[in-house]
Amino acid sequence: MELAIGIILGCCALGAGLAMIAGIGPGIGEGHAVAKACEAIGRQPECKGDVTTTMLMGCAVAETTGLYALVIAILLIFVAPGQLVDILKTALGQ
Amino acid sequence: MAKINQTVRRETLYIAAWTLVLSLLMEAVFLIGGWWDYTVLLGNLLSAVVAVGNFLLLGLTVQKATGMDEEKRSKSFMQLSMMGRLALMFGAAALGALLPCFNIWATLIPLFSPRIAIFARPLFDRKPKD
Repeated sequence: MELAIGIILGCCALGAGLAMIAGIGPGIGEGHAVAKACEAIGRQPECKGDVTTTMLMGCAVAETTGLYALVIAILLIFVAPGQLVDILKTALGQ
Repeated sequence: MAKINQTVRRETLYIAAWTLVLSLLMEAVFLIGGWWDYTVLLGNLLSAVVAVGNFLLLGLTVQKATGMDEEKRSKSFMQLSMMGRLALMFGAAALGALLPCFNIWATLIPLFSPRIAIFARPLFDRKPKD
């Protein structure tokens, strides 16, 4: 029983860690977007307002991917272990 | 403290308004479903403040990054800010999950409000196109 609970907790922690790998993508993407925006503003300074608005919205959308990963990780760390252990206990009749 | 750009202020207000509307909608759903208690309200408040604060920080970062001369520096500044903001959201979500005074679902759902607001933007954006 302890071994099974340990495996569940370990797998949940591993899953949360793997989910957070998705947090790297938006960081890299946003970095590229800002670098290109700097280039665009440098070329056409009069478009700064439009470029900033578009990039702000784009960055917020890109960040959602990281947010999905974050929510999955939170659920795997704080919610899933308790529920899975309960299911295990019910299945074993304890 | 740096002055907040007009664009950043306008967009943050737009996101804040949408977050408020969506929070009220979520509260109504919880109320109708019979799951409402003070933990839902507290979780919603925490999450809404973090979601809007995150967007404001994103705006300030973009404002500062676009003002930088070096592309490489602005890129790494943005990446650093992204990681910081993700850690902030992780902290808020963990707080919502750990403390019994916050409902976990009411804490997690409003984090997506800015995304929904941006998704709904073309429906209300009546600017004539060139």
